[in-house]
Amino acid sequence: MFFSDIAVGYPTDMGGILGLWAALILMLMIYSYPLYKENFAYRFAEYTYVAVSMAIGIIVTLDSLIRTQLTPLVTKGQLILVIPVILGFMMYFLLVPDYRWVSRYPIAILVGSSMGVGLSSQIIPSILNQIISTIQNPGVGATAIDWFSFVFIAVGTICATMYFLLTYEHKGPIKYTTQAGRYFIMLGLGAYFGNTVLFRLSMLATRAQLFLQVLKIIPM
Amino acid sequence: MSSGNIWDKLQAIDRRVFYWILFIALMIPYLRPIGFPIEINAPAKGIYDELSTVQPGEVCVLSINSGVSAWGDCLPAMVACIRMLAQQDARILVWGMGHTDIDITWQEIMDRSPELKDKVYGEDYAFFGYLPTQETTIALLAEDIRAVFSLDRYSTPIDDLPIMEDVNGADDVRLLLSSDTGDVQGYYIRQWHTKHGTPIGSIGIAMNASGDLPFFLSGDLFGLSGGSRGGAELEQLAGVPGEAITTMDAISVSHLLVVFAIILANVGYFATRGKR
Repeated sequence: MFFSDIAVGYPTDMGGILGLWAALILMLMIYSYPLYKENFAYRFAEYTYVAVSMAIGIIVTLDSLIRTQLTPLVTKGQLILVIPVILGFMMYFLLVPDYRWVSRYPIAILVGSSMGVGLSSQIIPSILNQIISTIQNPGVGATAIDWFSFVFIAVGTICATMYFLLTYEHKGPIKYTTQAGRYFIMLGLGAYFGNTVLFRLSMLATRAQLFLQVLKIIPM
Repeated sequence: MSSGNIWDKLQAIDRRVFYWILFIALMIPYLRPIGFPIEINAPAKGIYDELSTVQPGEVCVLSINSGVSAWGDCLPAMVACIRMLAQQDARILVWGMGHTDIDITWQEIMDRSPELKDKVYGEDYAFFGYLPTQETTIALLAEDIRAVFSLDRYSTPIDDLPIMEDVNGADDVRLLLSSDTGDVQGYYIRQWHTKHGTPIGSIGIAMNASGDLPFFLSGDLFGLSGGSRGGAELEQLAGVPGEAITTMDAISVSHLLVVFAIILANVGYFATRGKR
């Protein structure tokens, strides 16, 4: 019932074909900036993207508001939902300089409730479980790689933590530990950066794939 | 430039030339797949192993917290997981946080999951659409799904959906998969796993993989699919080969190119350093 007419494969209906070509042309307009230089086509595609994203955002958010707040409020008489709806509308006073203070109340409630809910269950997964998994040895039957990982993570954690202990001067025997900590942090940042590059290349790869698919060079 | 040696000339190449080479090189594996081997790692195997234990009728949740821009990284893994769950006759609930394009993503997952076409909407799976991201929302979902959703995405009252008959909160859910570009998965770990013991699996973009791995090692996540690589591993494990395996070829080619460029740039730098 809810499946689209466009199944996997090249679309056969005019709307689907036009949509694909629009995607390809807008993509090429966006890529004209890094592949050539800043130009009118790039700016047009950029503005179109921002406008369409905004439109989708407004419609989907309104739809969510109607389904999750207004409908139960009206049909089931859940009057308590009036409070979040009013608080939500109070947020828009951010846009009125003279009454900006009104928006501080919903923001304060939002930040306070989120912190309260989050902090109460933060300690177990983010602190206790991390300490346990760091100090727990791999046990019987572990491979050499498991032991290496265990020692590497344990030593890395200790050294990186010592790097951030700033209540004493990093000299003498401590100097080498904090220096090692610095290298461990650099390794960690390197891994983050590598993964970031991987994500960007993955996005680019799927665009290259779309390019070939729309031109029917490879199947969709 | 004209008077310089080859290293000077190489270092003066316009970066746009490299972008063109990269864009063209990425297309080659799609035209002629190379078939680089994909080794299965423990995090992706964790997802497969846990999904394999799901019994018919058990309720599983997919929370789509990633947008269209992350399809390359997250979509193949989501498709592989949904196909696997559908094959095992699990009941599937789908909702999403923070990305307003969730409808398009869910449509894409359905289009790529032939197993779902034999299923009945409302009985075997249900889609609840978009929710704004807040940890408080996720905490409330864990306690009482009906307090958040009174209607599904198609405005059907939640109590009219047979799939929801005995499902009220996290305690009734066998496992939850969170597809992330941000930190929503952390909310699920805190509010669903820590408080209710619901197993959580993560399908994240590659950028998040390093940050998510400690939660897999500590057992807070039963599995982790990081980027296209994770998707390719899951496709291989689940026996549903898809786009991620081909995409991995393209990414491997691009990585070789980037590594080659880095080596070349460094050799050029050291070769010309004495002149500066």
